[in-house]
Amino acid sequence: MVKAMLIKEFLLVLRDKHALAALFVMPAVFILIMSLALKDAFNEEKALVSYTIVDMDHSVQSEKLLELLSENRLLNEQNVSAESASQFLITVPKGFKRQFTSKSGREKPLEIEAAADVKQDLLALFKSQVISAFMQVRVAAIKTKLEKRSASSARELDAISFDEKKMMQVSFSALDTDEKPNSTQQSVPAWIVFGMFFVIIPMSTIFISERKQNTLFRLLAMNVSLPLLFGGKIIPYLLINQLQVWVMIAVGMFIVPLFGAEALTLEGSVIALMMVSLALSLSAIGMSMLIAVIVESVEQATTIGGIINILLGAIGGVMVPKFIMPDFMQTFSNVSPMSWGLEGFLDVLLRREGVEAVLPEVAALTLFGIVLLSVAAMIFKMKVRRGL
Amino acid sequence: MIRIENLLKKYGENIALNHLSLEIGKGVIFGLLGPNGAGKTTLVSILNGLSDFQEGSVSFFDLPLRENLTAIRQRCSLIPQTLAFYENLSVIENLRFFAGIQNISGEELKKNIAYAVRVNRLEKMLNQKASTLSGGQKRRLNIAIGLLNNPDVLFFDEPTVGIDPEARNEILETILSFKKENKTVIYTSHYMPEIEKICDEVAIINEGVIVAQGTLEEMLQKEDASSVIIEIYEAPLEQLEMIVSDFEDLSVIDTASLMIEAQDSTKMAEVLQHLEAEAIKIRQIRYGTTNLESLFIHLTSQGRTDG
Repeated sequence: MVKAMLIKEFLLVLRDKHALAALFVMPAVFILIMSLALKDAFNEEKALVSYTIVDMDHSVQSEKLLELLSENRLLNEQNVSAESASQFLITVPKGFKRQFTSKSGREKPLEIEAAADVKQDLLALFKSQVISAFMQVRVAAIKTKLEKRSASSARELDAISFDEKKMMQVSFSALDTDEKPNSTQQSVPAWIVFGMFFVIIPMSTIFISERKQNTLFRLLAMNVSLPLLFGGKIIPYLLINQLQVWVMIAVGMFIVPLFGAEALTLEGSVIALMMVSLALSLSAIGMSMLIAVIVESVEQATTIGGIINILLGAIGGVMVPKFIMPDFMQTFSNVSPMSWGLEGFLDVLLRREGVEAVLPEVAALTLFGIVLLSVAAMIFKMKVRRGL
Repeated sequence: MIRIENLLKKYGENIALNHLSLEIGKGVIFGLLGPNGAGKTTLVSILNGLSDFQEGSVSFFDLPLRENLTAIRQRCSLIPQTLAFYENLSVIENLRFFAGIQNISGEELKKNIAYAVRVNRLEKMLNQKASTLSGGQKRRLNIAIGLLNNPDVLFFDEPTVGIDPEARNEILETILSFKKENKTVIYTSHYMPEIEKICDEVAIINEGVIVAQGTLEEMLQKEDASSVIIEIYEAPLEQLEMIVSDFEDLSVIDTASLMIEAQDSTKMAEVLQHLEAEAIKIRQIRYGTTNLESLFIHLTSQGRTDG
């Protein structure tokens, strides 16, 4: 009996091109697009400041300064003739080299002109980067002088390092040392969650067609019990959801890097990941069944299902990452089961947590799914009594 | 075979079946007639264990239905009016699924599928997607699914709706063939010539009660030759009820037909004049209730006008 139900449901889904597109193509495309689109937003080393530089000095020192600034990944040098205006214009005045050779009083300082809308924090960031480059030029100048007097003293200066990684280690809360979230790690779980809830479309459309065509009536007359009928829906879609999860993870690991974004790494607990995906699947299936038994037509199911999915996704941090949201929205996002699923996936894929960490999300999602399935079963029973 | 005694079914305060009793013998093709809302569907639902009842008893093969539902269902089959199968599956996939769901496997599966396919002449389209079948072929697949458990009792709910006359005749021939196999068929329909063609016994149900029952011959002998049926182009029920209130023997059957209970030419002329004055166009006038259809209309409208 169960085997027949599974085969039937799989064949129906496999032959439904729209369902396959909603379940597999749509989330895969979203993962790819969003991983690439948000690549810079999640990249700590992306260029944050644009500048244009004019060298009037043409000295060794000024050229070294230009070289250091252009190597800085936070800064984006633009040509003087560039159409888009830079945020800063640096002029290296003639006689700049005296900064490093003359006594005080005769220095020619760098001239920095900031755009009118530049904020203080950006100005501070830019100044710190220029000072860093300036100091490196100064150390190089001192080293040149020392080399003429004492080679051993000059070598001591080599110990002075401007390598950021040697100076400091940055870590993110709940992450391993020096680990940063990248756009792929954000996009993959978000769109997996969203895609999993799209089982609403094939599940409800098949179920409603069965209802309308009296196929369910016929099945019940063939001694198919309500638990078997529901089980015959739940099990195939649990499996389809699991397939979705692994296909999307594979997209994050192998396809996304081909387009230049960072690859997804799978280093958390696989068991925890499976627990989250099964619990999330149960809640998605619960919602699908509830919609399927309540609505009267396939059109209603696809419209209502689509709207609910988009709302839950928007609230739950799928479309806009939760950490970007203001505090009240972050709190509000907890009403969406997609948010619980997303947090569970982030625990594993991003924070590399284990089973214990995902238990609250797994429990909430499982309970949510069971409650919705129970309500759907009660409504369906009532409808059967009334002749579907 | 099937015994229904004093069956009462209520939906809240509404009585769907009012102490209904019926007996259907083995190997009989039994026609169940009645207008929409008469209680046919409710009765078929109860007989298939899909709906419960408040009072009375139902038994199949001398087994009470409630206590032996699973066993009885295994020997019965419901063929719904709608095409209750999966359009995206092939004919053979549909047959395998519906057999599998009934735990039919191994040799029995092969044998029963072969039987269902042969009876419904589906051999050449086994691998064809159900959605690509013609209307008649779909109806035959619908019936074939109902034969997979080789049932003793078959419930047909208007199986010929929406198909061409040739396909209809094929289906009626198929149903007639079940008689040779000593299967019992309960056949609900609005289409009286079909009932006259295939049924051995007939019951007319109206407002939850059996208003007439017997063999087809007995039923046809109960004809009322004095009635006249006036078929009209559809008109509002309220307007028709206003018209009939002016005449003693005139009654409304439905929005497209009226009945005069006496062949009185003067009265007839008055009625026609009245209809013309009300801008109601007449399609056909039929004298005498010479067939089961007229009897059905007569009996069911009587209950309505009496009520």
